Amino acid sequence: MSQEETKEEEYRTPPEKQPKQPKKSSLKTRMKKHWDKYSLIYIFFVPIMIHFLIFQVFPFAFSFVLTFMDWKIIGDSTFVGFEHWARFFQDDLAHLAIWNTVVFSIYYIIPTMGLGLILALIINSGIRFAGFFKGIFFLPVVTSFVIVAGIWGWMFQGTADGLINMMLGWFGIEQQLFLSDSDQALAVLAGLSILKVSGSTMIYYFAGLQSIPGQLYEAAKIDGANAFRMFWQITFPLLKPIHFYVLIITTISSFQIFDSAFLLTGGGPNNSTTTIVYYLYEQGFTSLNLSYAAVLSYVLFAIVLVISLIQRKFLGKDDNIY
Amino acid sequence: MKKTIAYIGLFFFAACFLLPFLIMVVGSFRDMQYALLSPSFWFSDELSLSNYTYILDDGIFMRWIFNSVVITVVPVFSQMFFCTVIGYIFAKKQFPGREIYFWTFMAVIMIPQQLLIIPKYIMFANFGWINNYASLIVPEIWGIMGVFLIRQYLQGIPNDFEEAAKIDGATDFQIFMRIIFPLTIPVVATVGTFSFIQNWNDLFQPLIYMTQEEMFPVTVGLASILGKEGHFGIEMAGSTISFIPTFLIFLFFQRYFTEGIQLSGIK
Repeated sequence: MSQEETKEEEYRTPPEKQPKQPKKSSLKTRMKKHWDKYSLIYIFFVPIMIHFLIFQVFPFAFSFVLTFMDWKIIGDSTFVGFEHWARFFQDDLAHLAIWNTVVFSIYYIIPTMGLGLILALIINSGIRFAGFFKGIFFLPVVTSFVIVAGIWGWMFQGTADGLINMMLGWFGIEQQLFLSDSDQALAVLAGLSILKVSGSTMIYYFAGLQSIPGQLYEAAKIDGANAFRMFWQITFPLLKPIHFYVLIITTISSFQIFDSAFLLTGGGPNNSTTTIVYYLYEQGFTSLNLSYAAVLSYVLFAIVLVISLIQRKFLGKDDNIY
Repeated sequence: MKKTIAYIGLFFFAACFLLPFLIMVVGSFRDMQYALLSPSFWFSDELSLSNYTYILDDGIFMRWIFNSVVITVVPVFSQMFFCTVIGYIFAKKQFPGREIYFWTFMAVIMIPQQLLIIPKYIMFANFGWINNYASLIVPEIWGIMGVFLIRQYLQGIPNDFEEAAKIDGATDFQIFMRIIFPLTIPVVATVGTFSFIQNWNDLFQPLIYMTQEEMFPVTVGLASILGKEGHFGIEMAGSTISFIPTFLIFLFFQRYFTEGIQLSGIK
């Protein structure tokens, strides 16, 4: 112990106070001191920073360069300037892909938020086994899209054998084509995403509901407000920060939709489910037009960035509460 | 009255959410050439194991599962470790440019992964990483989200423990291993479960980096048999098997999922 204490003393004595020591040793002490202070940073932070530069920063910059080149996997790549960007502005299919993605968001965002809120209200209403049911609603969130999409595709078969068609039959509704109908396919995909994601919106809303003070409801009860009024006048407005946060994350995720379009429709029928990311995938990795795919990925980035900036502007420091 | 409505809603939605999983499990035990919806789908008492035996004999499916395990287990453990160290450094260490680095991370998180995949594909082609586990493991050894969660958590813990340990002469590394790491176990578990879900379920990246059937993870493998005529039972059996690890992890770590989702909302 005493040995250690003297050691400690040595480190703490600044070099100026030991004039008799040769300069070299003082440098060594200083280096030792520096090492003690920053060892974790040199051992872990610097390598992680290098990793970050290689796998995140460099690809980001490289992708931008790609948009101005005609990149070939085999053979020489040439500089083509704005050719690919110009193509984007004239590419009807790219515009359709953006439009499809916007339509998908319209089908998807409000139902996901609404269902999440309803589930949270149910869970929060003092029912038994709330934790168990919370688990059930959250289960699709952790399940692979491939699994859920496989089942969903089977349920929504466009033939008389399809489960949903059979159920519609009970109500006298005629058989639908679903994924083979260009007017319905996108809505069926949105339905799959709603089922898959509303469990996580439920968690946000549940956290929000629990932070609302109970006295507010007691006061409202004394004033004779019914449950319906209490919801619209207390619960709903007080959840405002959650509404906004959930709106932003569901919007961003809806613009990145790919899995269900790839798995269930392959962009069809008649390109009605070709979303931005699906089109990007098709251009880049089926047609091997990597440069044009890079342009599309920058368009996607621009859209996501604008949404994030709106979040910054409107949320500011408001969301500190949650 | 209010309770009654809540219970009706609860059972209705629970049934809707469980129906797909029920179809998956029931379908996996049905020997069906086509996905015909006759009452026998639900009520046949013949339990057919043919789909499972087909999968186990086939070999390629077990290879897909093995691939998924490789590309999941390594990132899960390395993320738990590296995210904790880096999160700790950001929360507790002083060094020049700390805030700039952190906000660079937070800015980069906004870049859609799809944007990075195109240049990464070209890079990995040059590295010889196409059809190589490295393309799915090396980029995932740590994650910005995990660093963020750990930093957020450690900032709420007073410095007293560390200072006391420092006075006792503990080195930085000892402080980290003996004090910080045990304290952060709940958040580290969150980082691990998130990383598991992300890697086990990832479809887009392996779809691009893995082109040979024997290198597919189970997601891409299942996607390749999806919708093929007469494969419904096999697909459901495959789905059930690939769902078991997710389900077990979910069962034991559910708390960490939901807490993680809430934590990630704190900005």
